Amino acid sequence: MTDLLELFVQAAAKFGLNYGFLLDAYQRGSLVNGAITTIALCAFTIVGSLLAGLALAAMLTSGRPWFARPARVFIEVTRNTPTLVQLYCAFLVLNMLLTQAVGAANPLTPFAWVVIVISLHKGAFHAEALRAGIEAVPRVTLEAASSLAFSRRQLLWNVQLPLAMRFALPSLINNLIDLVKMTAVASAIAVGDITYASIMIWTQSDNVLELMILLLAFFGLLSFVVNCVGRALEAKLRMPGYGH
Amino acid sequence: MPSPETRVGQPLISLRDVHLSFGSNRVLKGIDLDVQRGQAVSIIGPSGSGKSTILRCITGLLPTERGSIRVGDTDVHALKSEAQRIELRKRVGFVFQQYNLFPHLSVLENLVIAPRKVLGETATNAEKHARELLAKVRMEHKADAYPGQLSGGQQQRVAIARALAMRPELILFDEVTSALDPETVGEVLTVIRELTEEGMTCVLVTHEMRFAEDISDVVYFTENGLIVEHGSPEHIFQRPTNERTQTFLRHALGDAGRRPVASGDPFLLSNISRYSLSV
Amino acid sequence: MAIDSPVSLPLGWPRRHPGKLVLLAAVLLWLVFGAPKSPVFAALREWSPALAAGFGQNILISLLAIAIGSVLGLLVGALAVSPLWITRLPAKIWVQVFRNAPWLVLIYFTTYVFPFELHIGKSWISFPDWVKVTLGLALPASANVAEIFRGAIGSIPSTQWEAARSLAFTRAQIFRSIILPQCFKRMLPPWMNLYAVITMGTALASLVGVHDLIDTAQIASNTVNRTGFTVLIYFSVLALFFAYCYPISRFTQFLERRYAFS
Repeated sequence: MTDLLELFVQAAAKFGLNYGFLLDAYQRGSLVNGAITTIALCAFTIVGSLLAGLALAAMLTSGRPWFARPARVFIEVTRNTPTLVQLYCAFLVLNMLLTQAVGAANPLTPFAWVVIVISLHKGAFHAEALRAGIEAVPRVTLEAASSLAFSRRQLLWNVQLPLAMRFALPSLINNLIDLVKMTAVASAIAVGDITYASIMIWTQSDNVLELMILLLAFFGLLSFVVNCVGRALEAKLRMPGYGH
Repeated sequence: MPSPETRVGQPLISLRDVHLSFGSNRVLKGIDLDVQRGQAVSIIGPSGSGKSTILRCITGLLPTERGSIRVGDTDVHALKSEAQRIELRKRVGFVFQQYNLFPHLSVLENLVIAPRKVLGETATNAEKHARELLAKVRMEHKADAYPGQLSGGQQQRVAIARALAMRPELILFDEVTSALDPETVGEVLTVIRELTEEGMTCVLVTHEMRFAEDISDVVYFTENGLIVEHGSPEHIFQRPTNERTQTFLRHALGDAGRRPVASGDPFLLSNISRYSLSV
Repeated sequence: MAIDSPVSLPLGWPRRHPGKLVLLAAVLLWLVFGAPKSPVFAALREWSPALAAGFGQNILISLLAIAIGSVLGLLVGALAVSPLWITRLPAKIWVQVFRNAPWLVLIYFTTYVFPFELHIGKSWISFPDWVKVTLGLALPASANVAEIFRGAIGSIPSTQWEAARSLAFTRAQIFRSIILPQCFKRMLPPWMNLYAVITMGTALASLVGVHDLIDTAQIASNTVNRTGFTVLIYFSVLALFFAYCYPISRFTQFLERRYAFS
């Protein structure tokens, strides 16, 4: 392992890139920890955003103004304001109020705030995709299911949702790839993700370019993995004859 | 199966003075219609004369405003709850112009899903019955294909089998050949003809005049939401008494009245994903 | 398939939402006449010129970034749809790299890797931080514009190409007089959407020390150091961004719906 690293560092040095910090156990450790934090952040927010998206989409399509209106307002506010500002409003304002109220018992860490904010943010985008998917299910197909004596609930679970899911899937995957990139914003409130770890290293040793390439490669890899899983799911759920 | 001539009992379907409007557009203005058990009844007439609406009222997909609809012992116009309408639909099959198969399910799954989920049949029974029905419509070789892989005529035959899988008392056919290519119309009509010969009660809305003349026991001619004339096929097609019927048939017998499908493939995904970028 | 949403056309909206307008007017009246008694609002009024200047910085960055990004993106997009793979390949790599990179990382990249000043001829051009941030936003913008362009070209039905070819147009002529005019119309909604996203992206500028709206808000919050003021100022920042981006988003939806039927 260390040999491979040394080989890599020597090879990079020939291109004028100084990856010497990778041989330093402390700096390497903080980078690896940062990478693990980012992966954990992605995992939590992917699940959280999908749950939030489902809940919001259910509210939007409930047909009851008391549910649909607040969901619509929340989605529009979320879509039209920067995530960083949302994160500040949550972490610097709500977290401050919470700490003032309960003192040291405040259970929410910066990590938790990032998960909450990004989950809700991307949940708004998921909800839009899901709503569009539900509305894209042709009315005639639902009529056909009714004519086969399906009840409303059977119709929802056997016809409407499976079709809506397939229509929404490409958008959902795009949203998730975007979500992976968005986790970099966690560094703004000093969550020790890979971006934050990199900043800590380059402020000490001025090797911004090298770290930047590493960062881009890492996020590229994460996006690639999400993309592959998404495409596999799409292929599995593909309706033959309705290619796109 | 008693033949329609000998049995003059209570009709299986009977509509009396049925009215329906969509907004200010009065679609049905007093429809009277009777279908005896085992009969094949065709409804013909110009586009927009309310033919398809009659079928949707019979199976409770559309509510009526006035008048009565009776199917067997059920008063359709008086059904209050969705559960009651579901009970009705278990007995009434419906075949659509656009086939409306479930695109995410294979042909066999399309046939099996309703008997299993709605009627509570076992998987083995439902599948056995489904395969018999597929053989009947000559689609057994496509049991594992998906609707999107089939031609229009093949999809429509599967749709007929799907309706039959519920073991209905009667089947309503809503312009089932209007969206098909001319060369596949015949295979679908053959299946329907066989059903009527077996004594299945069928109500057809159709533009295929020759076919209607050939297989029907009774033909109804509708125009502007009213039944203009009805009677035996010979009466309607050879000696129509009403001037409107004569005019319509003069024009309609020339072509099959096929009209282009409005929106093409309903599953075409073009613009569904809004640009999802965010910062 | 048209996607309906509960939002209505902008036409005639004042008459359709009288309640909201009255509410808005009431809030404004209260802010002007009722609020000054509270020290928190007095502080906000005191800081509002600084906040406005900060937001001006954000808008300046966003306008420059979309301008640079559009020019660059159309170039890259043109390369990406060229018939030669040797020009397509670099365009594809450009799009892939800058679309899949987090914007924050790109902003760090331009801020720390680019030189402070550039030597052109005899003069030195200095690069202040906000220009670097602009470039950092222009990079992903260009990649997205290139994709929007490629998507628009691809969405023109192939029958248009066939029809034009049958009229003996050359490839360049088809592009200029048949395809591009149709493209620009289709590009407008996603391009406006991209502009709104870039505007929101300018919020990241504060992280590399540009004195923008958020930076000003942080300074104000720390200076005044009151709980109520902190709450107010961060939600004011949120409201400012919303007030700027929401109309763009509504107009985008309006255009999308109008083009969907033509």
